[in-house]
Amino acid sequence: MSKHESKTEAEESNRMWASASFVGVLIIIGLPLWWKTTEVYRVALPYDKISSFDQLPRKVAVDLKILAYDDVTAADLEALIEKAFEDSDIIKPRIQKAVLSDELHHALEYVADELDAVEEINRAYNLTERNCFYLVQRRNLFQHVWLGEERVMFFRDSEASRLVVESLLRWVYQTSVLSGVRSETVDAARSTRLPPAAGYHVVLSVVHPTPDKLEVEFDAKEAVEDYIGTFVDELSYLHNFTLKSQWLYLLDFNFQAKEVKDINEDRGRHFSVRRDRLHLLLTSLEERAATHVAALPTINLALYIVPCHLSPLQIYYDDDKPVQATMQAFMSPKWGGVVFASPSAPDCGHQHPAFHPHTRLVMGTFLAQLRPLLGIPEVDYIPDAFLVPLRSVAARKWEVDSLVRLRTLEQITSAQRTLQSLAQLLGEISNIVITDEVGASINSAVESIQEASHLLAEGDIMNAYDTSKRAYLAAETAFMDPSLLALLYFPDDQKYAIYIPLFLPIMFPVVLSLKNLLLWFRGKPVHKDKIE
Amino acid sequence: MWWLHIGCIFISLSTFTPYSLGVEIPEKFQKSNHTNNWAVLVDTSRFWFNYRHVANVLSIYRSVKRLGIPDSQIILMISDDMACNPRNPRPATIFNNAHEQINVYGDDVEVDYRGYEVSVENFIRLLTGRVPPDTPRSKQLLTDEGSNILIYLTGHGGDGFLKFQDSEEVTSQELADALEQMWQKRRYNEIFFIIDTCQASSMYEKFYSPNILATASSLVGEDSLSHHVDSAIGVYIIDRYTYYVLEFLENVHTNSQKTMTEFLAVCPKSACLSTVGVRRDLFKRDPSKVPITDFFGSVRPVVITTNTIDIMDIPKRKKTEIENRTKVLEKRKYLPQFPMHLVQGSTQ
Repeated sequence: MSKHESKTEAEESNRMWASASFVGVLIIIGLPLWWKTTEVYRVALPYDKISSFDQLPRKVAVDLKILAYDDVTAADLEALIEKAFEDSDIIKPRIQKAVLSDELHHALEYVADELDAVEEINRAYNLTERNCFYLVQRRNLFQHVWLGEERVMFFRDSEASRLVVESLLRWVYQTSVLSGVRSETVDAARSTRLPPAAGYHVVLSVVHPTPDKLEVEFDAKEAVEDYIGTFVDELSYLHNFTLKSQWLYLLDFNFQAKEVKDINEDRGRHFSVRRDRLHLLLTSLEERAATHVAALPTINLALYIVPCHLSPLQIYYDDDKPVQATMQAFMSPKWGGVVFASPSAPDCGHQHPAFHPHTRLVMGTFLAQLRPLLGIPEVDYIPDAFLVPLRSVAARKWEVDSLVRLRTLEQITSAQRTLQSLAQLLGEISNIVITDEVGASINSAVESIQEASHLLAEGDIMNAYDTSKRAYLAAETAFMDPSLLALLYFPDDQKYAIYIPLFLPIMFPVVLSLKNLLLWFRGKPVHKDKIE
Repeated sequence: MWWLHIGCIFISLSTFTPYSLGVEIPEKFQKSNHTNNWAVLVDTSRFWFNYRHVANVLSIYRSVKRLGIPDSQIILMISDDMACNPRNPRPATIFNNAHEQINVYGDDVEVDYRGYEVSVENFIRLLTGRVPPDTPRSKQLLTDEGSNILIYLTGHGGDGFLKFQDSEEVTSQELADALEQMWQKRRYNEIFFIIDTCQASSMYEKFYSPNILATASSLVGEDSLSHHVDSAIGVYIIDRYTYYVLEFLENVHTNSQKTMTEFLAVCPKSACLSTVGVRRDLFKRDPSKVPITDFFGSVRPVVITTNTIDIMDIPKRKKTEIENRTKVLEKRKYLPQFPMHLVQGSTQ
């Protein structure tokens, strides 16, 4: 009996040790190991830095030099400008004031033409310095304020101070456009310009619907190269531009044009097309132009050669008023522009009709469309202040400065928003993976954002632009990285379906044996009935 | 047993009752501030007996294209090629009606994702923008903060999932998360979500991102039914919901004044046999004041240019001459294959 008893006891202890080892392997080693290995892989991210983006410097420092005839005028103007920009969230002018040197004073009095006066200032000061703007007093001015292509604004006397401030706000620094970058709602300028990108394709398509009836002589390649090329050369620091041109024949579009009598026209009539019909032309153009296959965002420019039987074509507003402009043209935000070139009566009257579109006018219209698309907003009219109309292809110097500031702010804001969204999403959605590469991108974006903000606050806009571009690209790469979806086929809500069939058959007996095991360890008899 | 697929029951009805809606034009539409329109149209099921799903998705494709969304802004995912299926007695056509009134395949269908490319992964990658780096632009959803997106899904579904390709499914949670990621990245202005499957409304119940208007062909617990069978091809030819949607859309033109409310009421229970579900709590505008063209058309803003720059000097860019010529001194060429130059004299 005792032999038998000791044998059962030995068996009992063997069994208990066996089940204890099962428990040990499964619960003490297995569970934590399983927990650890099935964790969503996430690199530690600088959440504190991401949440404290608001504390970074928000203002852009700009240099402003006032050159006046006397100290009082300069001081008054300085005070007024400082007051005007006091509330500004964006621009912080660093003003230096000086009295004009006698030599420059005489020179400015002497020359009659404003452009020559700019020349004189250029001789004394360095006007090529970016982000540095000169306010110069010039008594013999026809207007209160004069602004040309260079970084110089003339003002007549202290009476013009208020106008100077307004011109600075609306023309030179474009504060409303800049603050539109940060706002939640989209303003007109933001909805027009293309989002920041490393590069753009600019494609000029010459659309010729009736090649059999009209010969068109237009060197598209040369025009793109000369006009658009010269224009984008100035901006090549900001983006890479690829210029292309193509001809599209036989693109048929039904304008639903109506013949209207017109005594000013050689043929005694013109054809009217309603404005609300024009967006359909974009759709049919897009079909043929095939510019969306390119890897970079594309700006479409289309020169539509109006067939002779529809010439001249005249766009009408929705209230049935004709558009008064040298060229009939329209643009579509973030897409591009279309210019209509109508052949004249003599062009069409020939036995072999031929048409030379006026390259200078056509390209001038395209450039007017291209400027807001690339982020140079249209300047509005300020009474009594004179802005020299643009007569050259290149953008004004201070416009380029403003564009650099705009794009820098845009890229910083976009990168910040992307990272904040990502941080929030990581909290909301548990199965997003953050690999080491994505983590590195995020860290570099955070650092670049901080650096760019500080550079802007110091007024170093070119370096700030470069840094902000890095931040923008790094943030985009991080958010859009394909590896974030690595757990796409392993969603949280389906984990039960995967683990329960796997673990239930093993865990069930192990968990059940726990009670017996505990009792046995405490030295209590496991099977009372057997002993009795 | 929520992970089991429950096939829908398809009832064929040889007749349907046409219905009409009292069209009332609202006095003033609520202005939408979208600047472009996109459409994502997905058919998730393969095989010949799912012919009707291809007809469904192509019906919507035809409508949005006719109403002006360009192909570059339509992402079309079709998992099987019914037009070229050997069982199709009318090759290169897909009809949505046994009377063969409308060939929805049309002349130019641009399919962006086809066959086995139509997978949950590609669909979610498309929505979230996390595509592999070498993806062409035509296969990307390049939307921005001003985009209105129409999402149309059709296929076989169940409570909380939509089956892709017989092998995998997207759950409502995954879809809701994908849309939230789009919202956080500012990739849409508004979304109109349509789904035509069984228990379709379960797919939008988990949405939590703002500015989404969703409609589904059936409520949870209901099946979406097909419309009628075409005896020439031997399978059902279109689903009821999409049939009535197409019938409605065929009467919509680019300048139509129809509203979203009319669209949401397009298939009453008497016609659909299932209850059309609508979710409008996430949508900020009043659907009765939203024109249907906000989602189905492409209302692109047009700005007239009047400020031509009068360029004074004709610019000349410093040319970067690219020499395309080869450096071979002597040019050589092939002789014609038939020595015509030898017999030239005799022919003259």
